[in-house]
Amino acid sequence: MATAEHSLQLKAGSGSRVRDFLNAHLIHILAAALFLLLAIFLLFPILAVLAKSLWGPDGFTLKYYHAFFSKKYYFQSLYNTLLLGVINTVVCLIIGFCLAYMTTRGPWIMRKPLKVIALVPLIAPPYLFALSLIILFGRNGLVTRMFDLDWQLYGFTGVVISQTLAFIPLAYIMIESTLMSLNPNLEESAYDMGASEVTILRTITIPLLAPGLLKAALLIFVMTIAEFGNAAILGGRTPFLAPDTYTLITGESDFNMGSVLSVVLIAPCIVVFLIHNYLLEGKKFTTIGGKPVASEPRRITPLIKIPFIIITVVAAGAIFLCFAVVLASSFYKILGVTDKFVLSNYLDFTSNQAIYNSIRVSFVAAVIGAMIGVLLAYVIVRGKFFGRNFIEMVSLSGFALPGTVLGIGYLLAFSAPPLKLTGGIMILALNCVFRFLAVGVEAGISKLHQIHVEIEEASADLGASFLTTFFRIVLPIMFPAFIAGFIYTFMTAIVSLSAVVFLVSPGFQLAAVKIFDAAVYGEIGIASATTIKLMVIVMLCMAVLNVITKKTKVGSGLSRKGVS
Amino acid sequence: MSDAATERPMLILKDIHKWYGSHEVLKGISLEVKRGELVTFVGPSGCGKTTLLRLIGGFTDISSGEIILDGRRINDLPPNLRDTRICFQNYALFPHMTVAENVGYGLKVNKWPKERIAARVRELLEMVELGAFGERMIDKLSGGQQQRVAFARALSLEPKVLLLDEPLSNLDANLRLVMREEIRKLQERLHITTVFVTHDQFEAMAISDRLVVMKDGLIEQVGSPIEIYERPANEFIAGFVGYVNFMDGRIESLDQATRHTVISTPYGKFEITLEQEDFHTGDDVVMVIRPESVSLSIDCKKEGGNVLCGSLTTYMYAGSLAKCTVMIGDRKMIIDQYNPRDAKHFKGAKEVNVEIPRSVHLLKKNQ
Repeated sequence: MATAEHSLQLKAGSGSRVRDFLNAHLIHILAAALFLLLAIFLLFPILAVLAKSLWGPDGFTLKYYHAFFSKKYYFQSLYNTLLLGVINTVVCLIIGFCLAYMTTRGPWIMRKPLKVIALVPLIAPPYLFALSLIILFGRNGLVTRMFDLDWQLYGFTGVVISQTLAFIPLAYIMIESTLMSLNPNLEESAYDMGASEVTILRTITIPLLAPGLLKAALLIFVMTIAEFGNAAILGGRTPFLAPDTYTLITGESDFNMGSVLSVVLIAPCIVVFLIHNYLLEGKKFTTIGGKPVASEPRRITPLIKIPFIIITVVAAGAIFLCFAVVLASSFYKILGVTDKFVLSNYLDFTSNQAIYNSIRVSFVAAVIGAMIGVLLAYVIVRGKFFGRNFIEMVSLSGFALPGTVLGIGYLLAFSAPPLKLTGGIMILALNCVFRFLAVGVEAGISKLHQIHVEIEEASADLGASFLTTFFRIVLPIMFPAFIAGFIYTFMTAIVSLSAVVFLVSPGFQLAAVKIFDAAVYGEIGIASATTIKLMVIVMLCMAVLNVITKKTKVGSGLSRKGVS
Repeated sequence: MSDAATERPMLILKDIHKWYGSHEVLKGISLEVKRGELVTFVGPSGCGKTTLLRLIGGFTDISSGEIILDGRRINDLPPNLRDTRICFQNYALFPHMTVAENVGYGLKVNKWPKERIAARVRELLEMVELGAFGERMIDKLSGGQQQRVAFARALSLEPKVLLLDEPLSNLDANLRLVMREEIRKLQERLHITTVFVTHDQFEAMAISDRLVVMKDGLIEQVGSPIEIYERPANEFIAGFVGYVNFMDGRIESLDQATRHTVISTPYGKFEITLEQEDFHTGDDVVMVIRPESVSLSIDCKKEGGNVLCGSLTTYMYAGSLAKCTVMIGDRKMIIDQYNPRDAKHFKGAKEVNVEIPRSVHLLKKNQ
């Protein structure tokens, strides 16, 4: 560590040995402490799940896996989950690509509105779409009653539609960022050489985007197979792995089978994670530097324009409709069934109590998560010790892990001494911290890469100790990354469902779980109102933080990432 | 081809305006480019030169005015239907294709048969001296080689007008000089009409038949490099194409027959031979004195006869030239002394004589 060496030379002979030692090794001590946290709160729960799936009352056994692979029901569940993942990924990629293409290449007037609609679902819980589909097409749904239809929303189709709508923003964000980073001159050159719009897409845009598209596809696939809410609310009798795990744990208290299902759910995630890390490494096409400029609108041929506009307008319209329907339904006991306009949904005590709890949990999680994220980023970028890459991998892995796994893992790991945490706020907050750590860490890493290490060396050279340098130089510069980690953790934690649904105790309800329960029990009005309140809170928080960041001029470096 | 067709300008720009929202980037540009001519748009950043190039290429819609290519109005044609080819500053080579695929891309999308593409690509690569590099990937080439590939690709379809957007700015200084020569040689050999954009005034002067100096969306002056350098239309241009010393004065007498002119300034009277028309006795003028046109000699004996006495404040010897600063009263004058053989005498010298040449260019004051 260059910083430490400098200070050592400077202080040689002057300071005490203890101080010199601390000065030189503080970063290692910090790294050790952080790794301990990761080990306890991320690795230990995962290993607990793995152990539980292999450990019965009589010791080591494979009988639970045998049960999984021999029962037709579980096979059906696995098949449904994977099929859902594939369909969802393909559809989301197509819609996301059309949206991103129109907002980066299309006419100016379409860019902003499309972008806003594509991003709005980020502030909403993903199961909002399940809720709105029930309101529209459920047994008592508006559309169902209006046309007196007899159809079955609950099942595979319903889950596919709601999941697709929920993951459009993530697909859009990832594809848009790759499209934006594509030098517009490349497409213009092809255009200039006589290529038509279709030829440009086929020979230039899509081949160059391929690594980015693959990355987006992998991520969407992992998130969609692990997503719990939509499948649990709309799945009906169609089995999916994530809700089945929930039923096994909460209904039958069968932790062994629940663990097996979780491990099966992890497997594709690990594969995807490895592909992402090793196959895509260095697969980016390097383009010769130039100023990144927004592409000017092109004359897009009708051949492309018309299908793209249809797809984007239908997708944007559907998203908009879902939000409108949930908003409307929040003012009725059951929209379409009872006609009386009421505010009682908003005044519901248990709902407000749950929201209050959610805010507390998310705030605590955001503060801790942002701090740990920044520190981890610092250790990963500036540290020069063995195992650095492993720490990075572990800290980013929470992102790709299915929420149900960390839910069960926390139940298994922290329900008995020495680390008994169940039943309180901390288990929920810590769960959110370590699940959503990745974005804070990544924001910190990218911020640190922009700062030359010479700045820190200059500080050390002027006689500052490691701690002084860290607090006076590093932390202020990293503040935007802290804010980014905070916002992301808060937004994600407050709407996340899949892990906390295992961890809430009867006396400590969370808003996300409240919405889930209300939707399942048919209290559509309460579910809608709670969702709207949650979204308003998220929007308010973002607005407040926006003001703070603008006032303190640290706005740069805030990255918006997907929410699941 | 008839004489009328050969003499017709290849490219005509008629009163071109471009608005971005409420911001007017081009404020009425008119220009004719002859066949086989290399015309350079040059100006400080933000002057609109790249926008103008993109308008000609068809990448940006024109707000008003006309673009006429070889007698045909092309305002509404998309880039793929225009007979212009652009070479971008960052080359925009397709990173997922080989050199040959890059050069042959335009031929392929224009449905040339395979054998003809191969032959044409070979011919083009040999022309830019990259005959052996066809199968290389783009990122395995040096900057100069990439530049040649981009050039070959732009030439592949034999465009009527070649558009070059700062093609040399990503190269290091030495390579830039080499490539500049090569581009000019090829351009002259192929007799291809070329519009070149650069912010580098020296590059512009070295490579062009004519320069178009732009500022704030307007053309300041059009002319050959010599015209622009020796007879700049205003102070901006004079200062833009090299360093210049300005000196205010008034025409005291002007002999219309011999063009012998006397200019009085706060620093004394200067006698010059004025070649410019349109000046009269009593006019307030600005003398444009280039640093290299002034000669410098040690000691301060002579005064008068275009010779001034000053004190040498800096003398920076740099081999082929010495850059000097001389204070004449309270006025700073920059002087470039080329081939400074007697440099050692100037080191430490205080008083020097400065001789202003008789061929000074004049600008009207407040123009």
